[in-house]
Amino acid sequence: MPARAVAGLVAALAAASGAAEPCAAPAGFAPAGRIESRDTVLLYRTVPPGIEIGKHFAIDAVVCSRAAPSALRVDAQMPAHRHGMSYRARVSPQGDGRYRAEGLLFHMPGKWQFVFDVERPGRTERLTADVVVE
Amino acid sequence: MRRLAAALAVLAPLVAGAAEIVELDPVEIRLVLRHGPWPQPVLRDPSNRVSGDARAIALGQRLFFDARLSANGAVACASCHVPTRAWTDGRPQAAGLGSLDRNTPTVLDAGLGRWFGWDGASDSLWSFATKPMLHPAEMGGSARHIAGVVRGERVYACLYEAAFRAPPGADDERVLVDAAKALAAYVETVRSGRTPFDEYRDALARGDRAAMARYPLPAQRGLKIFVGKGACSVCHFGPGFTNGEFHDIGLPFALGPGRVDAGRHEGVKRLRSDPLNLLGKHSDDASGAAATRTRHVESTHASFGQFKTPSLRNAALTAPYMHNGRLATLHDVARHYSELDMDRVHADGEALLRPLRLSERQIDDLVAFLESLTDPRAGEPPGTPAAIASCPD
Repeated sequence: MPARAVAGLVAALAAASGAAEPCAAPAGFAPAGRIESRDTVLLYRTVPPGIEIGKHFAIDAVVCSRAAPSALRVDAQMPAHRHGMSYRARVSPQGDGRYRAEGLLFHMPGKWQFVFDVERPGRTERLTADVVVE
Repeated sequence: MRRLAAALAVLAPLVAGAAEIVELDPVEIRLVLRHGPWPQPVLRDPSNRVSGDARAIALGQRLFFDARLSANGAVACASCHVPTRAWTDGRPQAAGLGSLDRNTPTVLDAGLGRWFGWDGASDSLWSFATKPMLHPAEMGGSARHIAGVVRGERVYACLYEAAFRAPPGADDERVLVDAAKALAAYVETVRSGRTPFDEYRDALARGDRAAMARYPLPAQRGLKIFVGKGACSVCHFGPGFTNGEFHDIGLPFALGPGRVDAGRHEGVKRLRSDPLNLLGKHSDDASGAAATRTRHVESTHASFGQFKTPSLRNAALTAPYMHNGRLATLHDVARHYSELDMDRVHADGEALLRPLRLSERQIDDLVAFLESLTDPRAGEPPGTPAAIASCPD
């Protein structure tokens, strides 16, 4: 049986002390995770939905924000192992706050962390979400 | 009554034997089960249009054993990938026309790989197959020389035309690449079979404790270390016992004064500059999907001194070990991880690594487990190449 992501745990770095941006998933977009900060809501899903060790996958993300981001960068790391992926994801804007990141690959089972860097003029907001892949 | 007692005395060891199972907790069971089932199917390589083609396989097998492909006519692929040595050569470092710095990896199950070579400088089996043919210290051939052998040997030219639907033409590089694709098609068929571990793993999956008990106790204890304290299965992952990626495990990478083996760091550079990589014109994958890994692969300073995680299947037959053949026995390998020198591990390397501090019995058990990954038929010579009716020998 192939290894699959068994759990997704969303973590927001910034405390959601203010009201989060309303953010509705576009039609046909079933998010696997939602990350909220003071300024941003990020919905994401992996394509395919199950992550297999050693198989490339993509991430679709929707960014809702008061200040429109200039770009989104997507990466992943294994904090406990002090390393990231051996691959660099390439992110393409799809319009209307949607992005697709391609080329991700997890080469080990365990606890990974998606890293979304929301770029705005003069600052980068980092959002993370943990995912356990077995 | 006496007869009954005697019968029970005879049965007692069998009953005791049936009970000799090292119990695993649910996490350990899950970790063990993901090392199967075996064998895994080798999927056709979309970048190689003759992958799985019987005519190409027949050509590839003949080429694999043909020393005429080398510059001096004395070195074949099979000179280093010796079938009866589990497709290795038993030497610490390979030797062809000259001496090399790295150990000869087995080609058993190579078709399951994602990267090829200790540094992964090749992204396809066929691209990798060109490298030894052209390397001056291996076979020392040239595209012109190899194309000449293929064109000049009647059976080769016939099989080539049958497989590639055109006779070997005047383009030497094209013929070289096609010969490599035939070699890759053959190597994809070099597979290892089931092992005592696979029998145990499948018995565990179906809850067959009687069958599980036939797996030797030392191997069971070693397996528990492998998936537990040793965390070996994190990198030696899955049915193939490899995650197909690259790690620094604290081996020296200095080769001598002024020479280092940078491993993956250099491998990615070589991959990117290789005209035979999957982004080049020789890939047959029109979708481009096969080249995803090549488009996205990244090298960082942490890649320095990283080498590919080898499969552990049939490791007992492929000594010596590590990319440089530095460790002579499986006991040496187990001791390496037991006494890991953290000063040698890259400063920002794998935090997973730590000295395991195994006892001598635990080392023996771990080795017993590794030995249980041996296919009893892995050292058998291959059969003769398949006869292709349209191209008689």
